[in-house]
Amino acid sequence: MSGFDAGGSQLDTSWFLLLAAVLFILGTIGVLIRRNPLVILICIELMLNAANLTLVAFSRQLQNLDGQLFALMSMTVAAAEAVVGLAILVDIFRHRDAEDIDDLSELKG
Amino acid sequence: MTNSQVALLILLFPAAGAILLAGRGWRLPRIVTRIVGPGVVWASFLATLYLFANSVSGDFTYWTWIKSGSFDVPFNLLVDNLSIFMCLVITGVGGLIVTYAVGYMDKEDGPSYARFFTYMDVFVFSMLLLVLAGNFIFLIIGWALVGLSSYFLIGFWYHRRSAVLAARKAFVMNVVGDVGMILGAFALFVTYHSATYAGVFSQLQPRICGHGGPCPQATDTNSLELAAFLLLVGAVAKSAQLPLHTWLPDAMEGPTPVSALIHAATMVTAGVYLVGRMHPIYDLAVYAHGAVAIIGAVTALFAATIAIVQTDIKRVLAYSTMSQIGYMFLAVGIGAYTAGFFHLLSHAFFKALLFMAAGNVIHAMNDEQDMRKYGGLFRQLPRTSWSFLIGSLSLVGVIPFVGFFSKEQILGAAFSKPDASLALAVWAFGFITALVTGFYTGRMWWMSFAGKPSPDRPVEHPHEAPQVMLVPVVILAVLATIGGFIQTRALGFGPHLVDDFLKSAVGAQAWEGGASEVIATFVTMLLAVVLFLAAYRIYIQHAWKPWTAVVPWAQRVLERKYYFDELYDAVFVRTMDGLARVGLRYVEEPVIEGILTGTGELAEAGAHNLGLTQTGYFRNYVLVFVAGAVVVTLLILARVSS
Repeated sequence: MSGFDAGGSQLDTSWFLLLAAVLFILGTIGVLIRRNPLVILICIELMLNAANLTLVAFSRQLQNLDGQLFALMSMTVAAAEAVVGLAILVDIFRHRDAEDIDDLSELKG
Repeated sequence: MTNSQVALLILLFPAAGAILLAGRGWRLPRIVTRIVGPGVVWASFLATLYLFANSVSGDFTYWTWIKSGSFDVPFNLLVDNLSIFMCLVITGVGGLIVTYAVGYMDKEDGPSYARFFTYMDVFVFSMLLLVLAGNFIFLIIGWALVGLSSYFLIGFWYHRRSAVLAARKAFVMNVVGDVGMILGAFALFVTYHSATYAGVFSQLQPRICGHGGPCPQATDTNSLELAAFLLLVGAVAKSAQLPLHTWLPDAMEGPTPVSALIHAATMVTAGVYLVGRMHPIYDLAVYAHGAVAIIGAVTALFAATIAIVQTDIKRVLAYSTMSQIGYMFLAVGIGAYTAGFFHLLSHAFFKALLFMAAGNVIHAMNDEQDMRKYGGLFRQLPRTSWSFLIGSLSLVGVIPFVGFFSKEQILGAAFSKPDASLALAVWAFGFITALVTGFYTGRMWWMSFAGKPSPDRPVEHPHEAPQVMLVPVVILAVLATIGGFIQTRALGFGPHLVDDFLKSAVGAQAWEGGASEVIATFVTMLLAVVLFLAAYRIYIQHAWKPWTAVVPWAQRVLERKYYFDELYDAVFVRTMDGLARVGLRYVEEPVIEGILTGTGELAEAGAHNLGLTQTGYFRNYVLVFVAGAVVVTLLILARVSS
């Protein structure tokens, strides 16, 4: 079984990995510096998908479907996680207008 | 049944009674307590009589209690004429007193009643163990147990603060003596490697060789003196001699039968028994032996003088007990063992009689013990008064009562001991004590029974105690009257049954008295009687000025009991309090509390510092997380590339 073609030429795996790394770092920086909870969630999704991209890239390079299956699995978990995270956020927004995640520090010792 | 089993039975009867009453006594009907309580003591008495009648003697070993290398403690009972003699006194006089208690304690409710007889039986068992023990370990066990039962019985009315304090004082004083005893037994064990009497005594080296000179091979003098002095500490504490005497007067807080049995007739004479039992040691340890005589003589006079000013009838008797035991110490201290034990027997008769008669008076007076509030009881309580008079005359030492023969035999032995200035000195103490005894006994009897009734008397028309309390008193009164004729040595002729009986156990007195002894005897008696009558002139007729008016400071000193309690308070109690305060201030608070609170504070401070990392800022956590992930990644990379 051959990997999928992109315009007839095969792109080197390292490009995919580079893209994944850039996405992951962007996600991480976003989580670190943004304060809006919603944006932070989006950044986390970005990091997850960067990881998925690596899985798929390696899967193509190694001609092995396991990586793709794992990516599917990971997306499922991400969806579930997004449901929980968004539900919590929605609940928080119902009580107050939390624009800054640092306002949510009641559990601090 | 063999003789050894009978000897064991003497112990088992009271033990069984105590166990039965302790376990079930409060549930059983009162009649059971009434029968079992004194019954087991009488059963022991019968067993002792059996041994006495068959002249049993022997060292019965029942089983090995501890065996560890060369250390071997058998459970053995030493039955000889001395222990049989003591058992007869304990169970005979004890039986009478416990029977008397059946009536005296009748006011108590069921459980208390059973508790009292449990303690009494425990006491009788302990005392019998003490005198029958054939080795030092069981001697110490019995010794400590009698102290314990004495503690129980002094504090019997535990809701009275004074009783509890007195019990505690007695216990502490007795433990001081127990420690001395235990150390003394250690000292003997270290030297002779044996815990039994037989094993120790058989190794003692004679101090006098054939021609009368000291033996050069006697190498154990110092350890013997040490052991004898340490054992003497135990004897002094138990027998309430100077300087460990302060507990006995306070012990009168206990019920009167307890005072009669424990604090007059038996337990307090254990010190005399100890010196008699250890006579092979004391015969060789001359300094310790001399100390016994000196302590006895000084205590005899000391206690007799305090008795002059006491107003509580039981306290007069308590000081008189101390004084009479001083006589016994004096006797065994100069080597007149048989005379000392004869006085022990006679004292058990007349002092138990005095205490029980006093108990009848107290009973009739609604528990009032102050003699100044009695007066004129002679007509109203005739039988008690006569018994008390017999006891008093015996205490003073009037012929033909038993106290005359025993006390005068001691004084005679001291007076006529050849080449002994110490004996003559203690005789002088004993002589003066006899006169003081005449005076305070007279004061006690006249104040209580003669004259007009005191206006403060709690009961206008008292009546005599019930039969169960009168009969033992009358029996003892008869014994105190005729008992002296078993040994009339003080007169220089007649029978000497006690001496003959005890000769085999403690040795015969080494010297005989002369005619001067008999003259001294009668002079002593006459002067004592004169003082007995003088008390009537002073306290009833008020014909003579009381001596206290002449020397008021002496009255004060005597009322404060020579300031012994104050001295001990200042020296021991306050010192201990001070030490405790210093310890609190410089050890407890800075060191111990410092360590404990320091641990807590350390944990708290640590928690606070750790808490600082919990900023509540989401990005801080993420940063730490990311940094951790980076570090782990770098580590893995380094691992892979190397």
